[in-house]
Amino acid sequence: MLFTSNEFLIFFTAFFLLYWFVCDKNVKHQNILVLLGSYLFYAWWDWRFLSILITTSIVNFILGIYIEKTTVPKSRKLLLWIGLLQGVGCLLLFKYFNFFVESFSNFFSFFHFNIHIQTINIIIPLGLSYYTFKSISYLLDIEKGKIKATAEWMVFCSYIAFFPALLAGPIDKARTLIPQLEQKRVFDYNLATDGLRQILWGVFKKVVIADNCASITNHIFDNYQHFSGSTLLIGAFLYTIQMYADFSGYSDMAIGFSRLIGFNITRNFDFPFFSQNIAEFWRKWHISLTSWLTEYVFTPLSIAFRDLGKLGLIFAIIINFTICGIWHGANWTYVLFGLMHGCYFIPLILTGKMNKRSKIAGNKMLPSFSEAARMLATFVLVMFTFIVFRAENITQAFNYYQRLFSISLISIPAVPKGYLTFRTLLLFIGSMLLIEWLNREKEHGLQLGVIKGRIFRWSVYAFIFFLIGMLMETSETPFIYFKF
Amino acid sequence: MERVVILSQVQDIFKDILDDEEVILTDKTQAPDVKGWDSLTHIQLVVGIERHFKIRFTSREIQSWNNVGEMVDTIQNRIQNS
Repeated sequence: MLFTSNEFLIFFTAFFLLYWFVCDKNVKHQNILVLLGSYLFYAWWDWRFLSILITTSIVNFILGIYIEKTTVPKSRKLLLWIGLLQGVGCLLLFKYFNFFVESFSNFFSFFHFNIHIQTINIIIPLGLSYYTFKSISYLLDIEKGKIKATAEWMVFCSYIAFFPALLAGPIDKARTLIPQLEQKRVFDYNLATDGLRQILWGVFKKVVIADNCASITNHIFDNYQHFSGSTLLIGAFLYTIQMYADFSGYSDMAIGFSRLIGFNITRNFDFPFFSQNIAEFWRKWHISLTSWLTEYVFTPLSIAFRDLGKLGLIFAIIINFTICGIWHGANWTYVLFGLMHGCYFIPLILTGKMNKRSKIAGNKMLPSFSEAARMLATFVLVMFTFIVFRAENITQAFNYYQRLFSISLISIPAVPKGYLTFRTLLLFIGSMLLIEWLNREKEHGLQLGVIKGRIFRWSVYAFIFFLIGMLMETSETPFIYFKF
Repeated sequence: MERVVILSQVQDIFKDILDDEEVILTDKTQAPDVKGWDSLTHIQLVVGIERHFKIRFTSREIQSWNNVGEMVDTIQNRIQNS
């Protein structure tokens, strides 16, 4: 049941009507519907995983209450560790077990020791990485005294299973979402209509940009041996745009659907391609994951390594981004992706520019030359890491780089035709970036404050609708971030 | 050591590390109120304070302060207990 599918449209319409017209009497009724709707939504994908989701919710709900009740610090720590072991244990078992086993036996076979450990045939439960991070942050915050444990099991289970953000985030912290679940939601016309606009923008990015980029990038990455360096450069460019359009498009839809039912969930993207350095990029890309890692990984590590000065910060950031990389999946390509980003931070740490913030272009229409150059440089740095991210394995990534940086880089690219021609696709990508540039101070790309007059605004919405209708492929393409 | 003295010495450390002679701290001052006080300089400030007062904070303490006053309370407790 993808957000862009007919099933979801029927599901959400029914949910919306029940939510605002039948269950609007009190918060309990609203939460029962949110929880049942979330479990139905999840079971629709695969009912077998529902038991893991429910068990995780119950275990963490009980642990939260006992961590708060216990006054003995050692017992609090012990209960926290049980929760962490449960969460990380599930991730290790379902997501990383085979990866570690295979890496371990490969390592020993390199030294001619044959170690045979049986791998397990297991499927990763959908959304596991997302809801595990939610439950871990909940327990850590209670243990640190930052939040109180919720006494309502329905509130907690709804927080973990909240369907708009269940499969691919945003990863809301308990302190953002739980207070909203504890209060009765009242229909807010402005919030709902803005949610609709955000959904429209998300669908545009997914259907018009991401899926059409995919039809070209899949071909280039799967047959990279047959393409010139210049074509591979375009492949990397299109894949970077595809990743952004796919994941930020999904996030816009998730936030938009939440707004329609009265929730304000965490923002996940803040126009990252307009960043002037890599630190700014990560403050604007997958914000909910970055802020989670900053709070629970980078900050404690930088405190622990504080006597080492800048070297300590470099250690902390490298570990932080390695975890960020491997969070995406059990493959050395993701580890390398994280390491590359960690290394990109080193010059910023050494020059003390990591936390420097500057508003791009101020109130002017165009950026200055140096701002544009820094934006382009940041984009190129990110683009090179997405080659590793997309590759099946490290060898393929290196071969791709090798071919890309060959003499054939200086040749006319021969971009394979996807559903759209490359030129048409470039036109759409340019339009997306232009609209987002004009709205870069807004919460999403379609808050069209710059366009005065209702008729003009509606013409833009109608045109986007038309494009989506024209380009909506019959086969549904899943979102990239679902597999993480 | 008196609280006022601790606060004044902490202020001097801030001026030195943030390289800004105009820093003025009160108990209610928070990070956004001081130019240049971000998560990275925070770590440098903590190290500066620890070295000056010859104390060692726990990770939990460093992450629990909501304002300068709470930080000064911890410093005072540490000095009294050492």
